[in-house]
Amino acid sequence: MNAAASADNKQADIADIERVLAGDVRAFEGIVRRWQGPLVNMAWRYCRDRGRAEEMAQEAFLRAWRGLRLWRREGSFSTWLFALAANAYRSELKRFPVETLPLAAAPEPAGLATQHIELAAHLSHDAVHRAVLTLPLRYREPVVLFYFHEMDVAAAARTLGMPEGTLKARLSRARALLRQRFPHLQEEQGARKVFTMEKGKEAAQ
Amino acid sequence: MNRERKVHSEAEHARIETEIGHILAGEEELMPSSGFVASVMDRVRQEAALPAPLPFPWLKAVPVILLASGVFGWGAVGWVHWGLPVFGQLELGLPALSSLTISPQHLSGDLARPVEQAGWVALALGISLLSWLLSRRLAGRGGLL
Repeated sequence: MNAAASADNKQADIADIERVLAGDVRAFEGIVRRWQGPLVNMAWRYCRDRGRAEEMAQEAFLRAWRGLRLWRREGSFSTWLFALAANAYRSELKRFPVETLPLAAAPEPAGLATQHIELAAHLSHDAVHRAVLTLPLRYREPVVLFYFHEMDVAAAARTLGMPEGTLKARLSRARALLRQRFPHLQEEQGARKVFTMEKGKEAAQ
Repeated sequence: MNRERKVHSEAEHARIETEIGHILAGEEELMPSSGFVASVMDRVRQEAALPAPLPFPWLKAVPVILLASGVFGWGAVGWVHWGLPVFGQLELGLPALSSLTISPQHLSGDLARPVEQAGWVALALGISLLSWLLSRRLAGRGGLL
């Protein structure tokens, strides 16, 4: 999202919020339209279940509706909304945890022996995404938020309400845990590079 | 040799973590289903149609809370003042423990002082305040506030 579009969205959010607070329920639809993608995607990263992600995002929107007057104008609306959604998703996952294997038992990415390298890459990516779900929540949330919706360390830390140093330390620990689980990822990337180069050569010929 | 191996291993770790970062950052976006906005707005309209929750009647509640705190505080002080001496005079059945009779003079003499009584009341009020703050915090986390 470019800066101009982002500024337009901010203006639109503020206008809609003012209309909602003045009693116009329909104005909330603009907020839902603008933020449905980010909130559903964020929920998807928490549970990797599409149906459940939409239910969780719906609950987050309802909480936003109820608490809209609590948003303090000095902070960004997106940070407030993501923090509220993170709280909602966290409590939902505490009530009904995602069924996952322990990290050590998460499926191995497909090896180089796999005939179709693109398929192997896809399986590796899926395995890494699923392995994130097996991390303890304190490491999982920083990973989910940092690699989501163009967030940086500062934005993710604000959303989770923790100091940036703590977030960095948890991100580092999470990456180390994932690295221990997938010690051969580099080889696969190398194989993908070779594959991509070969495809490029084929196209050139 | 060992140092070279260590450097190589650290570089390898960094490369793998970078690769993991690329995979996590490159995840495809999920499109919400077409009826998502309508379904959220239905729930919002339902909620908006409900009567507004009654505000908590602080004006009536504060005197009651203060009165209840006073009564409990007074009860606690009374229990300490009168209950402990009685407890101390109890003779326990076991021969080895029967010598543990607590002398009322030791316990009630100090505790009956007014400053300490006020302390007990303050403690009771403090505990009430803490439990109120805790319940608000929990309710806030649960999205009820």
